[in-house]
Amino acid sequence: MKTLLRQIQDKGFTTASAGAVLLIAAALLVVLIPMFGRGITAVIFTETVEFRRLQKDLHGRGDNEHLARALADAAAVREPIYTMLREFSEGIDTEPLVKQARDVYQKYGEYLNYHNTPKEQYSDYRKQAKDVRDGLVDALESDDRQTVLDDLDAVLKEKDNPAFADSPAMEFFAMAQRYKKIAETVDLSHRAEYLTNLQEVTAAIRQLLGPLPGEPTPPLWMDQYGATRLDMALKARAALLYDEQWISDGPGKPMVKHIIARKEQFAGTPLEPLFDRVEADWDKLLQPRLRIYWQYFFDDWVNSHYFGGVGPEILGTLLLTLMSMCVAIPLGVISAAYLVEYAGDTVWIKIIRMCINTLAGVPSIVYGLFGLAFFVVTIGAIGKPCILAASLTLSILVLPVIIRASEEAIRAVPQTYREASLALGAGKFRTLVLVTLPAAGPGILTGIILSLSRAAGETAPILFTGVVAMGPIPNFGSPSQWLENPGSLFGWLFQPTRALSYGSYDIAVGDRISMLAPHQQFGMAMTLILLTVALNVAAILIRSRLSRKLRGC
Amino acid sequence: MTEVSVQGEKRNRNAAAEFTRPLLLSPSEDLAGYVMGHLGLTILFLITTTSVAAVFLIFYFVIRESLPFFTTGGGAAILARVREFFTDPGWYPSATEPRYGALALIVGSLYVTAGALVVAVPVGLLAGVFLSDIAPFNLRQICKPVIEILAAIPSVAYGFFAVMVLAPWLQTHLGFSSGTNALNASLILAVMALPTIISVSEDAMTAVGREIREASYGLGATRAETIINVVIPAGHSGILAAVILGMMRAIGETMVVWMASGNASRIPSPWWDLSQSIRTMTATIAGDMGETPKDSEHYYALFTVGLTLLLFTFSLNLLSEYLLGKARAGRGRR
Amino acid sequence: METPETVPLKKTDAGHAARPQQFAQAAVTESSEAVISARQFSFFYGAKCGVDQVSMAIRSGSVTAIIGPSGCGKSTFLRSINRMNDLIPGSRAQGVLAVNGHNVYDKRTNLVNLRQQVGMVFQKPNPFAKSIYDNICYGPRLQGIRSRGRLSEIVEKCLRDAALWDEVKDDLHKSALALSGGQQQRLCIARTLATRPNVVLMDEPCSALDPIATARIEDLIAQLKGAYTIVIVTHNMQQAARVSDETAFFCLGKLIEYDRTEKLFTNPSKKETEDYITGRFG
Repeated sequence: MKTLLRQIQDKGFTTASAGAVLLIAAALLVVLIPMFGRGITAVIFTETVEFRRLQKDLHGRGDNEHLARALADAAAVREPIYTMLREFSEGIDTEPLVKQARDVYQKYGEYLNYHNTPKEQYSDYRKQAKDVRDGLVDALESDDRQTVLDDLDAVLKEKDNPAFADSPAMEFFAMAQRYKKIAETVDLSHRAEYLTNLQEVTAAIRQLLGPLPGEPTPPLWMDQYGATRLDMALKARAALLYDEQWISDGPGKPMVKHIIARKEQFAGTPLEPLFDRVEADWDKLLQPRLRIYWQYFFDDWVNSHYFGGVGPEILGTLLLTLMSMCVAIPLGVISAAYLVEYAGDTVWIKIIRMCINTLAGVPSIVYGLFGLAFFVVTIGAIGKPCILAASLTLSILVLPVIIRASEEAIRAVPQTYREASLALGAGKFRTLVLVTLPAAGPGILTGIILSLSRAAGETAPILFTGVVAMGPIPNFGSPSQWLENPGSLFGWLFQPTRALSYGSYDIAVGDRISMLAPHQQFGMAMTLILLTVALNVAAILIRSRLSRKLRGC
Repeated sequence: MTEVSVQGEKRNRNAAAEFTRPLLLSPSEDLAGYVMGHLGLTILFLITTTSVAAVFLIFYFVIRESLPFFTTGGGAAILARVREFFTDPGWYPSATEPRYGALALIVGSLYVTAGALVVAVPVGLLAGVFLSDIAPFNLRQICKPVIEILAAIPSVAYGFFAVMVLAPWLQTHLGFSSGTNALNASLILAVMALPTIISVSEDAMTAVGREIREASYGLGATRAETIINVVIPAGHSGILAAVILGMMRAIGETMVVWMASGNASRIPSPWWDLSQSIRTMTATIAGDMGETPKDSEHYYALFTVGLTLLLFTFSLNLLSEYLLGKARAGRGRR
Repeated sequence: METPETVPLKKTDAGHAARPQQFAQAAVTESSEAVISARQFSFFYGAKCGVDQVSMAIRSGSVTAIIGPSGCGKSTFLRSINRMNDLIPGSRAQGVLAVNGHNVYDKRTNLVNLRQQVGMVFQKPNPFAKSIYDNICYGPRLQGIRSRGRLSEIVEKCLRDAALWDEVKDDLHKSALALSGGQQQRLCIARTLATRPNVVLMDEPCSALDPIATARIEDLIAQLKGAYTIVIVTHNMQQAARVSDETAFFCLGKLIEYDRTEKLFTNPSKKETEDYITGRFG
């Protein structure tokens, strides 16, 4: 019995600890899968013709002729949709028509003035025109079909009135004609209901296809194009084809989601075929096809990351990490070499070791405070948050990482290597430079890559020392500027920059527009993870090769 | 077999006696060697002391920028300021009567850290045991990179995950009013503290020698009994250090708590309600500093928060150093 | 270094070089030709005494074997000759250990020149993780030889001297770590020869090798005899008997007996020596 219990305990313990490892692996997958799965859609997705148009307008990418042909194809199927929409909305949303009727009346007055119509004739014509206008407006504003038709017939009777011949007033009759056609088909009594639904349909069509013809160009790029990606297009299509309503079945009952097809909402109206057309011509409307948007990693954003890529963020991260490495690698490797090869066991060395450990334990936000107080505020030559201040702060942050890794690597070089070199007549320093450091090279490189990835991922230390969410790309100047003023070669060091790490924060929390484009948010975070994890995998590979070599395989 | 003499260099068999290069340094060589040696060593030493300089500069500047927070009011006000800072739960820097009570922030930091450790310590120690005692070599070779990649993911990416994936999930599946709360931050911090806890505790348990395990097995103990009764007690210093290092990682973390904790500066009440928003010291610094003019009271107060954090982690660091030193010494004795 | 007269070494069928006549009967101690001489030399690791009051002289051009049980100080003594023990913290020397009449523990010893002229081959082959060519060139390059032609010449000469040339001449730029253990050790010998040493110290050079590789190294030692003064530490008495002219027996840090090899192995004058070589020791 006792033995059984002990066995159960033993098995249970084994299972629990294996479970812990599985849990950790699962946690890794739970984090990575959504980040990569959704992030990759920023790069690989199904583009639409709108995206091609955007790329052409922004970057001049793509073949002119192909694009023109594609746009012409799209326009051919879009045109009937636009026409249907326009005609129907004229019937439902009569306000523009009323306004137009008033305009026509005014124009007619001007026309009469222009032609120096005699006074008595003038007021007579005006009055007749006014009657026509009022009849038309009454027809437009009425909800009852019979009244409308009667009013319109009354208006149309005036068509042959010589007073209006060849004048702008003829427009009245064209309008009346058009509206009559609508009034014959549309149930005008539900006008108010149609109106709200129509506005939703129009918004969805704008989302899908871009601004309607005749509308002024919107100021933001993001409004100038329809759905650039299939996933966004499908969302817009769903909004176009179906209406989602939360309706309570009765008082006190919970709201239930009802999905109503727009086709039913607009049944019997001239708009009804529009929905079938959208579905039938779907491929031609947007011409979706697979796109590998590799330029994502190079492009700048447009409209707060609604369009575009993360190029400047990647550049900024690289600048920051490489600059910090320029400082940290020599300091770190030399320190490690000194600690291993020359240092004894003195009090000073103990203090140095303690300081390295302390440095490794300082919270990253305190590095940020220190960078702000020291590099930005105290050192006058820097004076403001910039790449130099941020990368110096990062270099102190990674210094202990590099020192520890290099120390371990240098310590791992077999003593026989050093002996061989010394026995061949090399001095201690030459042995270090010619034999020990090269032999420790892969190990040191592993440490450097790990600290690179650490520096690339850190956000808190650069928050106050040189990173911005939106800002210009660092200006490197041009060769002619460098010749003129060699100092300008380093001008970029004194500018702030964007970075992937802070960008990932800002795009998730700070930025409103990017929330409309989740693929952009996940794309940024994915790029950051991709960068750091790739560096780590490289380090792991180097180390495993190294250990294989040390084991002599 | 070849002959010793080949074309080019000919060697007399008696040449063994001829030392052509002087074995004695000339006085000038001697002097140059002495000077260069000492100069080189001094330069190397100075470079190595960069770390010391960095630590001192960090302490100096953080203290320098936080002192005015206490001293501006004159001598008598210092104590009141200290009392306010550590006992007042109200952090209202932009109120007309600004209050700089960091109690809620300190409690918030400790709260999420404790929450993270509750998850991370058992899981981490079990995983450490698995890697040191249970997993066969090949499985260990697979597990280690997984843990390293977990450690490699930047904190801001974890924060992104917390806000964009975990928070909506918590909201829809657990019915929280807000997905960014103490539970969210604690869970993510636990994942982030895990790699540290695992690797340090695994080292501590691997360092417990094979002999002591074999002795236990030899007496008929099962693996679980050996680990619980022998390995863990023998490696307890290192394991404790692992927990402390994990704690340091969690308490010093900024981006995750800033993004995932909800940033409401109040002490959670009731204390077990993890669905409340809290605010930590690190998140306060990160969030406030951007909008704070330099040399304002708020600015000094934020540096004081930073100093508190620094002293906190520094003492934890000393503790972990002591424990690791003890673990090493124990290993040396054995 | 160059002399007009060249006396090529002749080989016997057994693969041993003919021994120089004039040395055959020479007295072992106090020879005027002593290239290495120790007088009351002691070496300490902290408080522990590694070599205790050793006095001996090693003849130029001879092969001297040092034998003795493990931990008897034979390696320590060998490594003292070119001051490789300096690397061990807390070590110190007493007495005189002279190379070519110069006390190597003099503060003003030119360590670089000393180690170049007193080369060393280690217990385990320790080629650098570089190509064969670069391994050999390491010493010459330190001496400032840069010309490619000269370096190639040295590489070929040293590899021929170390009897490795035929095996590796086509793979000079391959990694030295790809060679077999015996080849690596011969490469290390070649590398040592490339610094043009007068003395070659060998610290149990065959202990990590199989018998065939060992035989080749022993052949090589026999060939090099005369051109270099060779001191070899070995725990293999047969090897000492095969390759050396003189043999020293160390025990517990002390030099017990030092004599011509035939004499020491056939008619030892000390009881401890006899016990050791007849296997009655330890």
